Amino acid sequence: MQPILKVNLTTGETSEYVIPVELERDYLGGASLAARLLYPVLTRDLDPVSPESPILFLNGPLSGTAGPAVGRFVVCGKSPATGLWAESNCGGFWGPELRFCGYDGLWINGKADRPVYLWLNNRKLEVRDAAAVWGKDMYESQSIIKSEIGLPGAHVLTIGPAGENGVLFAGLYCDHGRAAGRTGLGAVAGSKNLKAIAVKGTQKIPIARPEVFAPLRSASNHFLKEDTVTQVAHELGTAGVADYADYLGGTPKKYFHQGFFEGVDKVSGSTMAETILVGVSACHACVIACGRVVRLEDGEKRKGPEYETIVGFGPNLLNDDLAAIVRLGEVCDRYGMDVISASNTIGLAYHIYEKGVITEKDTGFHLRWGDVTGAERLLHLMARREGIGNFMADGSRRFAANFGAEEEAVQVNGLEVAYHDPRGVSGMALVYATSPRGACHNKSDYFLVDWGQAETSLGLKFFERHAGAEKAANVARHQDWRSACDSLVLCLFANVPAEMVAGLVNAACGYDCSVDDLLRCGERGWNLKRAINNRMGLTRGNDKLHKALLEPLADGPVAGFAPDLESMLLAYYSARGWDPVTGRPTREKLCALGLEDVAKDLWG
Amino acid sequence: MAIIFPSPEWLQSLFDKLNSDERYAQIARNWEGDMCVVIEPSGPLTEQHIYYLDLWHGKCRKTETLKDLFSVKSKFVLTATYENISHIMKGELDPMQAMMTRKLQVHGSMAYMMRNVPTVLDFVRCCREVTTEIL
Repeated sequence: MQPILKVNLTTGETSEYVIPVELERDYLGGASLAARLLYPVLTRDLDPVSPESPILFLNGPLSGTAGPAVGRFVVCGKSPATGLWAESNCGGFWGPELRFCGYDGLWINGKADRPVYLWLNNRKLEVRDAAAVWGKDMYESQSIIKSEIGLPGAHVLTIGPAGENGVLFAGLYCDHGRAAGRTGLGAVAGSKNLKAIAVKGTQKIPIARPEVFAPLRSASNHFLKEDTVTQVAHELGTAGVADYADYLGGTPKKYFHQGFFEGVDKVSGSTMAETILVGVSACHACVIACGRVVRLEDGEKRKGPEYETIVGFGPNLLNDDLAAIVRLGEVCDRYGMDVISASNTIGLAYHIYEKGVITEKDTGFHLRWGDVTGAERLLHLMARREGIGNFMADGSRRFAANFGAEEEAVQVNGLEVAYHDPRGVSGMALVYATSPRGACHNKSDYFLVDWGQAETSLGLKFFERHAGAEKAANVARHQDWRSACDSLVLCLFANVPAEMVAGLVNAACGYDCSVDDLLRCGERGWNLKRAINNRMGLTRGNDKLHKALLEPLADGPVAGFAPDLESMLLAYYSARGWDPVTGRPTREKLCALGLEDVAKDLWG
Repeated sequence: MAIIFPSPEWLQSLFDKLNSDERYAQIARNWEGDMCVVIEPSGPLTEQHIYYLDLWHGKCRKTETLKDLFSVKSKFVLTATYENISHIMKGELDPMQAMMTRKLQVHGSMAYMMRNVPTVLDFVRCCREVTTEIL
């Protein structure tokens, strides 16, 4: 891989960090490599929004190579929302452009004495004054910075006002609204007075065996383009699964408390395609093009919603107005707030308003399920940290706790639950409870496995979607594969055979690794992130779900079912080689993965 | 009598089943669209088989064995190797798993398909229930 550029915003010093080859081989790149590099500094005492808190942007060995959906990078650090490992990956064009500059990563420490943005033109870095864009929204900021740079083809990664204001679920955004949304790394950037990073490069990405890589890249893209899952994503976007998810009872409604909502059909990806869709958008060299371009009554083209946005501002609030969902999603994007956490926290506000925990005195206006005017007002308040929004900006756990109702917040370890209900797809119970970043659906999109995407080439089996402990080892294996994907950094929608991915990695890096080797790298990364979290205070008791997800719904397609998390967890620890008492990876497991230093830190 | 898949008798049995099955009639009551099922040769099957089915509001209006796909422009085309489709017919492979793991290709309106997955799954149930033997 290429070097990482280290930047200290306090001193203005820069240096290049050359990644040791053994780390490249053991961790591949991306999130797992970031975990290895940040391991020494991610301690329990580290304040995530202090100058000492690092933020590391990393590509993987396939990023920007025009392989199958590999135009992604990852951002890592310590989450201000959870106090645990933070990781969020993002598409668009920014990651590949960073590689074209001759760097595979940016490692930022310190705090600038005023708002700044970084301008990296090939290997030349400038720290520029960001006064003109501070306070501007995500799209405006990109536009102004591009104009200031005046160099065609530059790409800008930026925070919005939410990141500036320390909203704990603020993200980083680039291009056409592509988001590194989860775990609040936008707030970390904001705490450093870092508004944006613009990049433009002209260099070639190093490929070890280009004569092997080129035909394999072409074949894998053709393969991906013909895939039926790709066609669904291309034609309908990620929201294309909304109808089927709802049919299986996997779509949460009314903040996870209702099993049936007849309006789902009105807001699905199918409906979007048949009504307001006017185009699609793609990340770098991606043949899927899952991004949506829609046109509403005002005639303007704008970004269309993804599945999580559809559900978060739709069934989650009992809203069936698709145009309103589009607008609420855009408000989130412009402020630079993660739509899952923002819509979740709003759902919580509606929920505890209904229960009388908060009243109109607290909010300043009435909240009624299905009425999204209140939701939009809350979004503005959150982003600006005004009124009740100041509490909501800290995420659902702290918001609820502030009103003495922490038990009402549907979250895991401070991260709001994504919109795949474990009562519809039981594997997600384990995924949410054990994900290294809280209730995340991307560290393993196991709901797809529960629907049928059980890749035999990965050794995955197909279990009934309400099966229990018997699927625990399967979940762990899928997490390992996704951990490898997050290292490469490969989009989850790249539905190509694992052998093809291994072939691309070998050709790009000059390796001779098998699918099992990639899974081993993924497992190593997964265990390392677990150990990081253990060191930062995570215990066995953190592996839990909110009561709302463990109680059967009274109506809907999965009425009467709830996952038995405890038995699933015990089977999971056994499959993982983790201590069932402490929840830590055992010394033997860590040593088997080559993590002897970590074993010593955890076990003495 | 054994109904061997694939065969003209199998297609006729499926036609009869789709027009008599109450559950299918209920689930597929809103379905409007014909489809071609393309079975690519593999294993004991040495020639491509193409079956045409005109499905309309919970009934099957017509079936036909086609020589190629040029003569008909159907709303959907489902393509799988004989080996994979046999696994589906025998209940060894879930149809959604087949679709999501590249063992069954679907061409046509994905919006319509995703909105009507229950109909597709029940169509597969009917196929399975008329199949007594695999080639």
